[in-house]
Amino acid sequence: MRRPGRTRRGWSLLAGELARQRHALSRVAFWSLLEGVPALLSGRLIAAALDDGFLRHRPAVGFGCLAALLSVSVVGAVASRGMFPWLGATVEPLRDALVRRLVGGTLADAVHSAGRPDSPAVARLTGQVETVRGLVGGMLRSLRRTAVTLVATVAGLFTLAPLLAALVLPPLAVSGTLFALSLRTLADRRLAVVLLDEEIAAESGEVLGGVRDIVACRAERRAAARVGEAIDRQAAAVVRLARAGALRTLVVLLGGQLPLLLVLAAAPWMIRQGQLTSGQLVGAVACLAGSLLPALRSIVNLTSTWGIQLGTVLQRLSESGGVPAPAAGDRKPPAGSPLRASGLGFSYGPHSEAIVDALDLDVTEGDHLAVVGPSGAGKSTLAQLLIGGLAPTGGRVTFDGVPLDRVDPTHLRRCVALIPQEAYVFAGTVRDNFCYLNPGAGDRALDAAVDTLALRPLVDRLGGYDGRLPSGGAGLSGGERQLIAAARVYLSPARLVILDEATCHLDPETEARVEQAFLRRGGALVVIAHRISSAERASRVLLLDGAKATVDSPERLLLASPLYAQLVGYWHDDAASGARRGGRGI
Amino acid sequence: MRSGEMMFRQAVRPVVGRLILLAAAQVGGAAVSLALPAAMADAVDRVLAGRGGGWAVSGIALLLAAAAVCEVSAEIAAASCGARATATLRRSLLRRILAVGVSGRNRHPAGDLTSRVVGSATDAGQIAVTVVGLATSAVTSLAGTVLLWRVDVRLGVVLLLSLVPALLLVRMFATRMSDLFVRYQELQADIAARLLDALDGIRTIRAAGTLDQEIARVLEPLPDLSATGAETWARQRSVVWRMSLLVPLIEVAVLTAAGLAVVQGRLLAGQFLAAAGYTTLALGFLNQVDSLAELARATASARRVTEIPGAAAEGPATPGAAPAPGPGRVTLRQVTVRRGGRAVLDGVDVEIPAGYAVAVVGRPGAGKSTFAQLIGRLVEPDGGEVMLDDTPVTRLDPVALRRAVAYAFERPVLLGETVHEAVAYGHEPLSRAVVERAARLACADSFVRRLPEGYDTPLADLRLSGGEAQRLGLARALVGEAGVLVLDDATSSLDTVTEMRIGQVIAEDLAGRTRVIIARRLAAAAGADLVVWLDDGRIRAVGRHPVLWSDPEYRAVFGRGDAA
Repeated sequence: MRRPGRTRRGWSLLAGELARQRHALSRVAFWSLLEGVPALLSGRLIAAALDDGFLRHRPAVGFGCLAALLSVSVVGAVASRGMFPWLGATVEPLRDALVRRLVGGTLADAVHSAGRPDSPAVARLTGQVETVRGLVGGMLRSLRRTAVTLVATVAGLFTLAPLLAALVLPPLAVSGTLFALSLRTLADRRLAVVLLDEEIAAESGEVLGGVRDIVACRAERRAAARVGEAIDRQAAAVVRLARAGALRTLVVLLGGQLPLLLVLAAAPWMIRQGQLTSGQLVGAVACLAGSLLPALRSIVNLTSTWGIQLGTVLQRLSESGGVPAPAAGDRKPPAGSPLRASGLGFSYGPHSEAIVDALDLDVTEGDHLAVVGPSGAGKSTLAQLLIGGLAPTGGRVTFDGVPLDRVDPTHLRRCVALIPQEAYVFAGTVRDNFCYLNPGAGDRALDAAVDTLALRPLVDRLGGYDGRLPSGGAGLSGGERQLIAAARVYLSPARLVILDEATCHLDPETEARVEQAFLRRGGALVVIAHRISSAERASRVLLLDGAKATVDSPERLLLASPLYAQLVGYWHDDAASGARRGGRGI
Repeated sequence: MRSGEMMFRQAVRPVVGRLILLAAAQVGGAAVSLALPAAMADAVDRVLAGRGGGWAVSGIALLLAAAAVCEVSAEIAAASCGARATATLRRSLLRRILAVGVSGRNRHPAGDLTSRVVGSATDAGQIAVTVVGLATSAVTSLAGTVLLWRVDVRLGVVLLLSLVPALLLVRMFATRMSDLFVRYQELQADIAARLLDALDGIRTIRAAGTLDQEIARVLEPLPDLSATGAETWARQRSVVWRMSLLVPLIEVAVLTAAGLAVVQGRLLAGQFLAAAGYTTLALGFLNQVDSLAELARATASARRVTEIPGAAAEGPATPGAAPAPGPGRVTLRQVTVRRGGRAVLDGVDVEIPAGYAVAVVGRPGAGKSTFAQLIGRLVEPDGGEVMLDDTPVTRLDPVALRRAVAYAFERPVLLGETVHEAVAYGHEPLSRAVVERAARLACADSFVRRLPEGYDTPLADLRLSGGEAQRLGLARALVGEAGVLVLDDATSSLDTVTEMRIGQVIAEDLAGRTRVIIARRLAAAAGADLVVWLDDGRIRAVGRHPVLWSDPEYRAVFGRGDAA
């Protein structure tokens, strides 16, 4: 179990971000001072109204005091009016900064690590940013105000009747200490709730991401029951937290209500001694019951709920998404696209079997290379090595003679484009999606790409270039998504295009059209082949089989390699069967 | 919306007892707080009159203790009400989403749905508690007014007169905030959805080096969000500062009237104090502005929870309908499915004989996947009927339907803790032997055996390739021995050799079952007993592959337009 002391990093994250809003915070502090004026003076003014005015039958003086009370209140109202913009100016930039940090950090982490990111965890974090905003906003509004009220009330009490104030302070101090001690239990239980919240988010994220599969397996009950179990545990934890929180009632009783009783109990003696006037007593009781008690209650409540929650959430936020610095490269080399691998090797560890071994390969302008091989032969690994996405464990890849790790990354990415199997379609207009790699592309370029790739019907269906695509391209088929990804790279300035099974969801005819479109576009094309027909169209074929690699023309490879012949054989058998065979099953 | 309201009532029902306890504790607390000013006034007056105040002070002590008890009970009751209501809402929201299934999933991305289950349900669960709190506070204010009235009629009149503008202010606040909160939540959800999009496309972003561009894209709604946030502050300000002016104004007005009464000898000094206390209580309602803001937010959240459409019903539409595990004949009669005004399938009429291998072919977007989803009732048709062995699928109970129709998808989402559970999903408990057999058929057994813990390897530790995931998805479909097997592009990520092997399994080992195969490969169509050719949502032709092959347009579907 995490200890609450571990939330320090979270608080320092908040402090760092708030430090940037120093200007706004100083304004808040200024208006806070003004806002405390009514609490400071109201007890005194009420006492004076009675003592010097109404009880002495001098109503004019009484009304005067009440008028003063009113004008003091006006000061308070003006202060809270002046305060609000600065509260917003503190909290909104804080949220912006946290969202930026979260989005930037998460995406950078995801890009720089090899694996797939934990999406539900991210969804959770975006919720937590909002919690921080709500809590900081609430605390600035309420906690700040009540703290000011508390201090001002005690100060006001001292000016009104110092002896009474002395009665008030000890129980207040004791209750403060008690409260501080109870915070640890509260923090623990709050953390338990937060962790269960995260569990619910993770579980429901998994279920909601797999609705189709769950329904297809008719496992709705099972899926719902699993999340339901976490939901129930969370509800129980919330109740446990509330029980721990009930202690604060005692704190309020001790710090706010006991002083009131003490004052009332001591009053007869003090009045007999001439140390207290009627007005002072009324004023003090009004102060204690009307200001101190509500302020104390509110402070205790806010600290034990919002404060603890804020600490916990901040900690969770600070643990995620540190922003790593991207590696900088050397100067950019001249334009052109010769990519050369020499003695290229890759394995996941010193003792693992090599996935790519001693591979020599040249890709030049106008080249059309297909990479084929059985599953797990290392085709995608090779693609990653060629674009510098993976660092080789042997040999090297050069781009225009410069080793990949020394080429300016921006330049490299402009020149070399890889389309992965999972096409990326995001919420935005069709144009946004098409022009992703070439924001300057005009309608004429778009028209050309769309016509070449026969995308017109899809574009029309989506409502033209300014039609909106939903999040994740929901409603589009896998093939349609891949066509959008292809059009995007077609429009990009890249001279070397690598299709990593990027057309696997297209029918063969469309696949051929996409490949031909890229060939006519110029530059070089590398196809990690999903179908053998892709290899037959290529000018050269790289056959990967285990760590062994062979490069040759498709015709010669057919004669020289039994494996290639087998792959082609299946395919041709398959194609020929179209005309001859019928109901044998497939 | 009606089903939404129903869901809401369901969420409140289990907590009614606790709500009553909460209300009782709050009313008790309110009664004590109403008794306190009088008790205090009495004590002060006794003290001032030199009559001693011992009894009065102990009376106050008792009242304070009672207040504490009420407060503790109210707090625990409130927490447990909120927690239970939230839990009920979350459960029923999940059930609804699952009941609506695939068509609902198309309308709301998973990230958005998750945020509703996690965030919105929490807010919405607080509605009942907030309403009870507001009601108690209103009652207390009313009682405070009445008691002030009893201290001195004139004071009550002054208070009542000044209440009118105060209530108007509160009303203004409530109406102003609600739409703003909805807007704010929408923008927030937009950012979350964009971020999830980017994470799904992380390989493209990595390869294209567009990290900065992506960050900018995800953050695009942020200025709007910021502006909406600033607007909420501005609106709060316009109400709050008026309120903080109005409250002391009313207090001073009452105190002035009270002071006059003291001068005229109608009130004692202590009663002056009681007047101040009751005024504060009467105005307490105005301090509930925060609760109103909370209520506005909770209402907005409730809207997000309830707007997820509910399915007609979970389970069979007609109770007691016969589960019909027949031979597996699938019939579609005049079936139409619409998405956003466009007919994805339009009047499709087809019969698939039991035990046939049927290939569904057509260009991308022709409606093949929707066709596949209809058979197992993953989507509901907008018109027409889908039948399994003469029984409409709507009348089959879900368990019978699961036994009858199994699916394998192009991009399966694997669920469960381990590889074993992922294959057995929906059929648990299953023995290892059964799971292994299914995996062998799907050509998954060999790679599963190479995993660190074999079939017990946790899914979370795996980074499966598309082809491996497809093979496990296929194993999951085969594990239940369903009579109808729907393979929706389920082998598209496999290499040619493995795909060929699985093709043989489907043709030989699974012979006798009805197999509906959506595929782009020619082999699938060539090997099928029957081909259903879809074109733009309509049936173009149904027939045997060799017959259809003479049509150049049919050949074009496979990219063989020019070669016979």
